[in-house]
Amino acid sequence: MPVLPETQAIVLGALLGRVDSSAAARLLREGRALPAARRLQIYRNNLVESLSDALEAVYPAVARLVGARYFRQLAHGYIVEHPSRAGNLHDFGSALPEHIAGQPGLVGLPYLADVAHLEWACHEVYHEADSEALAPALLAQVAPDMQLQLRLNLAPATRLLTSAYPVLRIWTANRPGADEASTTISLEEGGVHLLVARRNGEVEFRVLGDAEYVWLRALASNATLAEATAAAIGHVPDFDLGGVLSRHLSLGTFARMSAGGSP
Amino acid sequence: MHPISPRPTHDLPSVAGIGLRAEHCAEFITTMPAVGFIEVHSENYFGRGGLPLQILERARRDYPLSLHGVGLSIGSADPLGAPHLARLRALIDRFEPALISDHLCWSSIGGVYANDLLPLPYTTEALAHVVARVQRVQDALGRRILLENVSSYVEYRDSSMPEWTFLAEVAARSGCGLLLDVNNIHVSAHNHGFDPQAYLDAIPRGAVCEIHLAGFITRSFDDGKILIDTHSAPVADAVWALYAQALRRFGPTPTLIEWDADLPPLATLVGEAQHADRIAREVTEEQRDACPA
Repeated sequence: MPVLPETQAIVLGALLGRVDSSAAARLLREGRALPAARRLQIYRNNLVESLSDALEAVYPAVARLVGARYFRQLAHGYIVEHPSRAGNLHDFGSALPEHIAGQPGLVGLPYLADVAHLEWACHEVYHEADSEALAPALLAQVAPDMQLQLRLNLAPATRLLTSAYPVLRIWTANRPGADEASTTISLEEGGVHLLVARRNGEVEFRVLGDAEYVWLRALASNATLAEATAAAIGHVPDFDLGGVLSRHLSLGTFARMSAGGSP
Repeated sequence: MHPISPRPTHDLPSVAGIGLRAEHCAEFITTMPAVGFIEVHSENYFGRGGLPLQILERARRDYPLSLHGVGLSIGSADPLGAPHLARLRALIDRFEPALISDHLCWSSIGGVYANDLLPLPYTTEALAHVVARVQRVQDALGRRILLENVSSYVEYRDSSMPEWTFLAEVAARSGCGLLLDVNNIHVSAHNHGFDPQAYLDAIPRGAVCEIHLAGFITRSFDDGKILIDTHSAPVADAVWALYAQALRRFGPTPTLIEWDADLPPLATLVGEAQHADRIAREVTEEQRDACPA
């Protein structure tokens, strides 16, 4: 009878703190010096520390906002509730924003989940697929009356974010290497729409206007230029399509375009 | 079955290389230090694009590459991860590494990963399982892989053979090569009370295709001390001595200095690699003197 699956389930359960570790310790030899339970604890500490380090590497501003000690506690809870599901850590930590939103101890930092969303977007954008920016000349080749039927695809290495809080200012004041001197940010400053993108390998932010955000969000959901523009005009009647389009063409926000028709 | 082309390991020079870590990348590709090869953790390059892959591409133009995995979980009772193998295969196709390796360990069960190198019980069941999995991995990648012995802090009551027998049997039955981590032998020998020389003597001469060296720390408790493989320190004197013993047995072998935590300046790593080369030269000369042509 195979015992390997059961052995591994008992050991990993103990390392994650999901089950009492005495069953796992019974599978192990008593060491010459240290008892088996103590030896198992070394693996348990390694697991919690290395995965907490991985979370902190992706969420440095969150860690700074809550303090190192609280972040370790938060990370520990996260590791047990949302354990790693792959042999690489690229996707580990994706649910931390939602996990933060569910922590009663963090209601005093209502913007924290949005800061986490921003940091996860940076992480994803940094590792996303490379693409060539859509050349403005290519768009110019399309007859003006046909242009509105185009769908413009955002580059893979872009994310759109919106927050009711000034998250970019909060993040900037708490990012790695930020000045220790305290910056006063009033939550009354209001929210922000952001485009997170990549230029020469580094992550960059663009603050977006209300209508510009609605427009890009619609294009990202595969709307045609006409549909996206209609949505934007619904928000801001004097939406400047020409200006916004040329801004994002020069920023390299788009990777491809395709003819209209049904999506 | 795909025919496995055991791409010759002499693609790698028998000189020392270093593990290339993100913090050193910019300096590395600007200064291009004189090391024999570079090794990276394959999983760090599982992203779809961006700077890390571009930098690796730049470094690869001037250095032979070894892709060293930490997440294959070869000893797990779970099915092999098809997405993991597909991403690894894509990396191999793009970067054409001289060597591909992972660890003789398990990291996951029930789809949940510890992302750590957990030791196996050395049983006949585990041996048959690992041998079959190595063969499936080699078929999926179309390449021979190397398996590395891990440091361990626990042993299973179930184990019916020593680690060195298990490792030698995996290599003999599956056809994989071995990446012998001399530091891990030293650490485990201390933690479990075996003779590191006996470990070396049990490993077949032709199976070792790469050697790893790294630093460990000592943790002391009221009831004893244990060595922990942290990759956070210089190679210890006892490990250099064991390295010389390994070279006497296995001959000149591509050797890698690993340093992953509390990273020193790049120059320190390069210095450790040069020290490994000095030891290799001394052993070669000593052997030449012992049996003159």
